[in-house]
Amino acid sequence: MGILVQIEHVDGQVADGAHELLAMARSLGGTVEALVCAKDATTVAAIADELDADTVVAVADAVLADYVPAAYLTCLAQAMEDRAPDLVLLSYSTAGIDLAGGVALKSGREMVCYATAIERDGAVLTVKSQVYSGKLTASTTLPLPGIVVVMPGAIKAPERAGGSAPVEELVVDLSVSQSIRHVENLLPDSDGIDLTKAERIVCVGRALGGTDKLPLAEALAVKLGAEIAGSRPVIDAGWLPRARQVGKSGTKVKPKLYLMAGVSGAPEHLEGMQDSDLIIALNSDEQAPIFRKAHYGAVCDMFEVLPALTEKLG
Amino acid sequence: MQTLLLWIVTLATLVVFAWRFGTRLQPLFSARPVNRLDRPGERFSGMLGDIGLHRRMLRFTYSGVLHAMIFSSFLVLFTAIIESFGSVLFPGFTLAPVGGETWIAILQETFALLILVGLGMAAYQRLIRKPARFEGSRKGDAILIYVLATGIVASMLLEFASAIAITGTPNPYRPVSSLLAALLGQVGVDGHAAETLHMSFYWAHVLIILGFLAYIPGSKHRHMFLAAPNIFLRPLHPKGQLPAVPTLEDEKTPSGIQSFSDFTWKDLLDPLTCTECGRCQSVCPAYAAGTPLSPKKLIMDLRDGMSTGEAHLPIVGGVISEDVLWSCTTCRACMEVCPVHIEHVPKIVEMRRTMVEAGTLEPMLQDALTSFQSQGNSFGKPAKQRARWIKGLSFKPVDARNQPVDVLWFVGDFASFDARAQELTRMVAELLHQAGVDFGILYDGERNSGNDVRRAGDEGLFELLAQQNIDTLAGCEFNRIMTTDPHSLNALKSEYPALGADYDVVHYSELLLDLISAGKLTPKQGAAAQVTYHDPCYLGRYNGGFDAPRDLIAALGHDLREMPRNRKNSFCCGAGGGRIWMDDSAFHERPSENRIKEALALGDVSYFVVSCPKDVVMYTAAIQNLGVEDRISVRDLAELVTESLE
Amino acid sequence: MKITVILRLEPVLTEELELTNDARDVDREWIGLDMNQFDDQALEQAILIKEQTGAEVVAIAIEDEGTDRMLKTALARGADTARLIPMDEYDVESRSSRAMAPIYAMAIRELEPDMVLVGVLSNADIYGELAPYLAAHLGWPQASAISQVTLGTGQVTLRQEYAGGRSARLALQLPAIAGLQTAAQPPRYVAGSKLRDLLKVQIPELNIEAVPGADLAEATTLALPDMSGAAEMIDGDAQEIANAIHALLEEKGFV
Repeated sequence: MGILVQIEHVDGQVADGAHELLAMARSLGGTVEALVCAKDATTVAAIADELDADTVVAVADAVLADYVPAAYLTCLAQAMEDRAPDLVLLSYSTAGIDLAGGVALKSGREMVCYATAIERDGAVLTVKSQVYSGKLTASTTLPLPGIVVVMPGAIKAPERAGGSAPVEELVVDLSVSQSIRHVENLLPDSDGIDLTKAERIVCVGRALGGTDKLPLAEALAVKLGAEIAGSRPVIDAGWLPRARQVGKSGTKVKPKLYLMAGVSGAPEHLEGMQDSDLIIALNSDEQAPIFRKAHYGAVCDMFEVLPALTEKLG
Repeated sequence: MQTLLLWIVTLATLVVFAWRFGTRLQPLFSARPVNRLDRPGERFSGMLGDIGLHRRMLRFTYSGVLHAMIFSSFLVLFTAIIESFGSVLFPGFTLAPVGGETWIAILQETFALLILVGLGMAAYQRLIRKPARFEGSRKGDAILIYVLATGIVASMLLEFASAIAITGTPNPYRPVSSLLAALLGQVGVDGHAAETLHMSFYWAHVLIILGFLAYIPGSKHRHMFLAAPNIFLRPLHPKGQLPAVPTLEDEKTPSGIQSFSDFTWKDLLDPLTCTECGRCQSVCPAYAAGTPLSPKKLIMDLRDGMSTGEAHLPIVGGVISEDVLWSCTTCRACMEVCPVHIEHVPKIVEMRRTMVEAGTLEPMLQDALTSFQSQGNSFGKPAKQRARWIKGLSFKPVDARNQPVDVLWFVGDFASFDARAQELTRMVAELLHQAGVDFGILYDGERNSGNDVRRAGDEGLFELLAQQNIDTLAGCEFNRIMTTDPHSLNALKSEYPALGADYDVVHYSELLLDLISAGKLTPKQGAAAQVTYHDPCYLGRYNGGFDAPRDLIAALGHDLREMPRNRKNSFCCGAGGGRIWMDDSAFHERPSENRIKEALALGDVSYFVVSCPKDVVMYTAAIQNLGVEDRISVRDLAELVTESLE
Repeated sequence: MKITVILRLEPVLTEELELTNDARDVDREWIGLDMNQFDDQALEQAILIKEQTGAEVVAIAIEDEGTDRMLKTALARGADTARLIPMDEYDVESRSSRAMAPIYAMAIRELEPDMVLVGVLSNADIYGELAPYLAAHLGWPQASAISQVTLGTGQVTLRQEYAGGRSARLALQLPAIAGLQTAAQPPRYVAGSKLRDLLKVQIPELNIEAVPGADLAEATTLALPDMSGAAEMIDGDAQEIANAIHALLEEKGFV
C-alpha cells in the first residue's frame, strides 16, 4: 500500500503532526512517501533529513516560502496524480482543513476527517474518528484510494529517528494558482504572556459566562502560582486576551498541572493541552468529553468549587 | 398701603411659584400619553383612603404618626393662612362669623402645638435616629422645611399672642397665645409696643409662608401639591400586568428611552412627587444586597436629570447606569410601600427594554435570552426535552393537546428542567394522579411563559413566547390552568389577558388545599413541625395568593411561625425579573441568604416552606452557602403534602 | 459587493446524545437543533462588513427543522435577504458537508456573490469542512480558520490562523470563500421585537436543481465514546470536591 503524507513545517521546522502522520503511516505498513513543499532545495533537504519516510517528494519554489492554500493545493493534487497513493494522510490543522476537501473532490476520493485511529485489515481500512465535539465516535470503512485527516496527538511519534530517504523532485506549475497571495506573517500578540513556559495553568471555558466571575478563577490561579488561560469561546468573547488561548488556534501547552473549569473539551482544545502531566477537570455536564482526557474530574458547579478550593489553599 | 404691599408680594410670589413649578412640569407636556382617568370613583376613594387614613404611611409607625400630626395640623392651620391673607388682601374679610375666633381658634391653638411636636419628632428622626432609608436623601432640604414650617407656626402664635398683648385680655379660645401674651406682658410688651410687634409677626408670618411657597417647587415638599394627584392617577390595571410599550400614532416600533419625552407623563410625574422618604429603599432586596440600585435614588436621579435637562447625558447608561437597571428583581416591594404610589418597576423595565433593543446586555442574560429564542427555555435544552421529567412517573400524563382535561397543568421552565425542581414536579404529578384529578400537560408544546423575559426587558420575545403558548392553549380543551410556578401564574393570569387570552388560573397551593378539603387527599395528623413560610413575590404581592399556602400548611397540622417580613412585605429571594439568569457576584449578601437568616432568627423552625420552583433552587443554595443544613431545610408544599400522606 | 453567508443547523450538544437503532445517526427525538456556532461568527462578520462598507448580505440555509427561525434571526441581525433552499427530509440520505456541497455550490452560482462566508467547521459529520468543498466545486480561492476579513476591490484580505497563535494575512481574488473562525466582534443580541416584526415574513425559497454528493454514510457507524482510561471522578458537594482536589494537589506536590 502506498501512503502519501503531507508534511507541514514552518520555515523548515517540521510540525509535530507531520511526525505523527509518518508514524501512523508506518504502523499501517506499505511504502511511505512524504510530500514536502518549501521555498528551495536547501530547505527541502534539511526537512527530508528529519523524516522517517521511504521517499521524499519535494516541490521547491519561492512561492512556497509561506503557506499559501492555493499553491499548496496545486502541489498536493499533482503529487497525488503523479504518485497515485492508496492513502493520503493530512493533519487536522488549518492546512489540513484547507487542502483535504479540495483534493478529495478533485481526485474523486473519499475522505474521512477527525481521525483518531486507522486500523488496517488487509486491503480494508477502518477509520475511527471523533464527531459532535468529541461526544461521539464514528467508525468508517474507507474504500481506497482514500484520504484521512488525522487529529493531532492521535498517535505518539517516536523520538526523531531521522531518515535518509531519497528526495525526488516534483515539478509543479504554480503560475496557475495565483488566486491567493501571501501578504505577511503575523506574530502572536503575546502581551508578554508565554503559556508554553507555564508549569501550572488554570483554564476557564465558556461556562464562565462573562468576565464577572473571572476573579474566582484568577484568585485560584494566584494561590496556585498558575497562569490563567481560556478556551476559544472565552477568547472570542473577549473575556481573556488572545495570548491566553489554549488549543488548536491558540497555544499548545504541556504544564505539570492543568486545572480546567467549565471547558467541555472539544477536540480543538484537547489538542492544545492533552500532554499536560496532571489534568483536573471541573464541569457541570457529566458527558463532557473532557472527562475522557482528564486524569481527575468532578461534575460540579465550578462557581462553588473554585472559591472553596481557593479558600482551602489558604 | 398694607393691602397693596401684600398684593404685590403675594402676586410676585405666585408668579415665582408658578414659574418654578411650571418649568418642572414642562417635560410632562411633551411626554407620551397614558390614560389614567378611567374609573374615577375608584381612583378618588382610594386617594381619600390613602391620604385621609394614611394607610401606607402608618406602616412605618413613627414617621406615619408624625406625618399624620403635621398633615392634619396643616389642614387646620390653613384656616389661619386664609385669615392672614384674606383679612389684608380683602379688607373686611374675616373667618370670625363662622367661628374664626371661637371653635376654629381653639383648633388652631391645639394643632399648632401638635404640629410643633410633629416637627420636633421629624427633626429628631432626621437628625438623631437617622434611619438608613434616609441615606441619599437631601438632608438640607428637609431641615430647611422644618425651619420654615416651625417659623410659620411660631410667627402665627406670636402674632396671635401680640394681638392679645395689645389689650392684655386673655382669649379663652386661644390658651396658648394667651400664655405667650402673658409672657410678652412680663417682659413689658404691651400697648403700642405690642401693636408694632403684632405687625412685625404678621409680616413675618405671611413672608415666611410666601417664602415657603416660592421654595416648594424645588423641594421634595412639592408632594404637598402632587401627592394627591399622583395617588389619584395610580395604576389600576392588574399588578402583574406590565404596561405595554407606549407607542405614538406615527410610530411602528418604539424608540426606547432616548429622552425624557419617551417616558409617559405619569412616569415623569412620579419623580416630581417623590418625597425622598426612602421607604422603597428600605424594603428593596437589591439595595439590601449591596447592588448599586436604590429605588429612591433611581427616582431622584430621574427627577434631577429631567429638571436640570442633562441633555448631554443619555438617560439609560448615563442618568441611570446600566448596573442599576440590571440589579432590580422586579419584586414590587418598593411600589407596594410607596406612600405616593410611585411606579418604580415599569420604569426600570422600560429602560431595560432600551438596553435590550440596543443589544447591550449582561452576557449571561444574553445567553439565556438567546436560548429562549432558539429553544423556548433558558436552560439551553432542546425544546423537545421539556417533558422529560415525566420519566419515572407511575403513569403517563395526558397530552392536553390531544384530549380534553379538567385541569391543564402549565409546568414552567424551572419545574420542567431544573433537576431539584423536577423531583417536586413529579411529586405534584403523583399527588394529582392519586387524588384522581383529570389533568394534562402540553409536553413540548409549552414555552416559557415569558414573565421574566418581559421583565428582563425583551418585550418582543415575551410576545413571541406568549403568543406561542396562547396558540397552543387555544387548541386545547380545559376548564382551568394550574401551575406550581408563580411566575408562569402571573403571566397566564395577569399578562396574557392584555393579549386577548383569559384563563381561570390557580396555583397548586389552592388546588392541593381544595383536594384536601374535598377529602380527595387525606393527610395524616400528628407529624406537626414548626415551619415558616416564604411568600413568593409573584404569588403574593403580585396576585394576592397569601392564604392558600398558609391554610394548606395548617391543614397538614404544622405550626406556622411567620417571619417579620411576610405577606405584602415579603422579602424577594433575588431571582425575579430575570435576575436568575444574571451574574449575582454584585450581591454582597444574596437576598436569599438574608432571608434564611431571618428564618433562623425565629428560633426553632425546622422547615423553610416554599411554593415556587425558583425558591426551591434559590433557598436550597442559600442554606448550603450559609452552611446551616443542620438547622433548617427547604420544603416545598408538595413535599409537605406528600410526606403527610405516607 | 454581495456576501453570501451559509447557515447550518446542528444538534445542541449540551445534552446527552442518543443514537438511532442502526447507529448511523443521532436520534433526533430528544435533540434540538441550533445554529452552528462558527456560522454564527460568519454571520456576524458579514453584518460587520455590511455596516462598514454597505455590502449586501444574503443568508442561505437548507431546509430543516427550525431553518425558518434561523433565517429570520439572520434578518433580525441585519442580513438584507434570506433564502431557504427547500429540502424534503425523506429525499436526502445524508446532510453531510460533502453531500450538501453541490447544493450550496449551485445556490452560490445562482446568487453570484463576491464573497462567501461560512463557519470554519461543523463536526456533525466525518467529512471535513464545507468551505474547501465549495471552493473545489466552484473553482474559487478559499482559506479557512479566518479571524479577520477586509473586503477590497477585486480582492479580499483575510487573516488566517495557525497553531501556536501564529497567523498570516492572505489576499484572495474575488469571488472567494472564507471559513470563518472568529468575527471581529462576538455575535450581537437581537431583541425579540425584531423577531416579532418578522413573524409574518415569508422567507423566499431558492430552488436548486442539484444532486447531493455521495459520501460514506452507509459505511459509517456511530458510537458513544469508550470511557475506559477516562478521568477518575471525584464525587461530593462543592466543599468535598475542593477538599479532594486539595488533597490531590498536596499528594502530587503542588502545595
